[in-house]
Amino acid sequence: MENIKYIVIGGSAGSFQTITSILDILPEDFNFPVFLVLHRLKQVRTGFVEALSIKSKLKILEPIDKERILPQRVYLSPANYHMYIEPGNFIGLSTEEPVNHSRPAIDITLASGAYVFGNQMLAILLSGANRDGAAGMKTAYEAGAFTIVQDPDDCQVNTMTKAAISKISEHRIMTAEDIVKFLLKLDENAKKQYI
Amino acid sequence: MLSTKDLNIFIETIKDNSSYDFSDYSEKSFARRIDKIMKDYGLNFTQLIRNIKSNSNFIEQIVKDITVNTTELFRDTEVWQAVKYRLLPKLKNNEQINIWHAGCSTGQEIYSLKILLNELGILEKTNIYASDINEDVIEKSNIGIYPLSFNIEYLENFDQVVRKNPYNFDQYLDIPYSKYFKIDKENDSIIMNNFLKKNITYKKHDLVTKTNIFDIQFDIIFCRNVLIYFNTKLQRELFYTFNGCLHRKGFLVLGASESIVNEKEIGYVRHGNFYIKK
Repeated sequence: MENIKYIVIGGSAGSFQTITSILDILPEDFNFPVFLVLHRLKQVRTGFVEALSIKSKLKILEPIDKERILPQRVYLSPANYHMYIEPGNFIGLSTEEPVNHSRPAIDITLASGAYVFGNQMLAILLSGANRDGAAGMKTAYEAGAFTIVQDPDDCQVNTMTKAAISKISEHRIMTAEDIVKFLLKLDENAKKQYI
Repeated sequence: MLSTKDLNIFIETIKDNSSYDFSDYSEKSFARRIDKIMKDYGLNFTQLIRNIKSNSNFIEQIVKDITVNTTELFRDTEVWQAVKYRLLPKLKNNEQINIWHAGCSTGQEIYSLKILLNELGILEKTNIYASDINEDVIEKSNIGIYPLSFNIEYLENFDQVVRKNPYNFDQYLDIPYSKYFKIDKENDSIIMNNFLKKNITYKKHDLVTKTNIFDIQFDIIFCRNVLIYFNTKLQRELFYTFNGCLHRKGFLVLGASESIVNEKEIGYVRHGNFYIKK
């Protein structure tokens, strides 16, 4: 847990409420860059950042290609693009084919994050109706990342989380509430280190 | 994902055995393309390298597989609305208009633009130049037939850009699809009308060479969602190249999530979605 410097969160159907409860509670000096990969309708291109920002104290943005990664920022994968973590601390975008019928695909951000961040990554997979993220979570775990899957019993739709757990069983399983607590604890620990 | 070390071996092997240079591609998206090629051809890394060394046709084939060809008719409708109502009217009085689609892929953006040029009555005086590294997609662009069932959003996009006017909500132009393309449900196709295919000059061109293959100056360069596959160094060099290819006050149109850092230093002024040569 003390290695964690970057957070990648993947979510699909039924994850919006959990995402907002996370974003709403994180303090403005939350010192970890957060990458959000959320499936959404292709047509919904504007207004999503605004909807997530209503109560959040963090700066939420859709990165442009080769945007530099900074702490206290939440990077929402733009509609219709895949979001890669690139070496050298920046974000790369791509319009290549959908993966698991999804663009953005959670698998792509997780796999590149696993390579670049390794054990400095915290990967969280939330409620969803397809199988995206399962392969990426496995790659992340194998690269030494800290992996958390939302408890399928706590998900509105549990296809995605079940797929991840059936791929490998080593992920930590938590309810949405515990995930929020975990992130606050992470923040608290990080701040203690500087005192 | 392919390691940085193997990626470099791949790049060097291609360089030694062909005219292609992938040194300045964006690393992780490039690594994923190589992963995909190994999977699709059932090759491990050693076999992949062996094939590259022994078979130049194989190199040509995988170069086509590496490059990403996804595109749509009127992708990012708000950009095309701006092209129609903000950009093209500025060229109305030109005697001639020259436009380059750099990385034209299967041609949907060429047809998007031609439809708008025709709506504005300036199609006849416009010359389209189009290039891509992949000759197969150029051929597809030339044919101008696209599958219908995967591309229903083309029609929605058409409604947004061609029929509606975001700057005047009262306006609705009842333009039939058949004016520009035939919808053939039986063969699951969208077929572009022949008059849209005229006056397009295609050439195979690798942007990495940073050259103006058409050797003329342009009023607009479209290069959308192409440079995202390159690193920032090559991107910047190409912004200079494009600047040199544009007439004064010419436009560079990039993808919705692309931008130029310190654009003034290179000689551009940003104007909404567009970069204008100073």
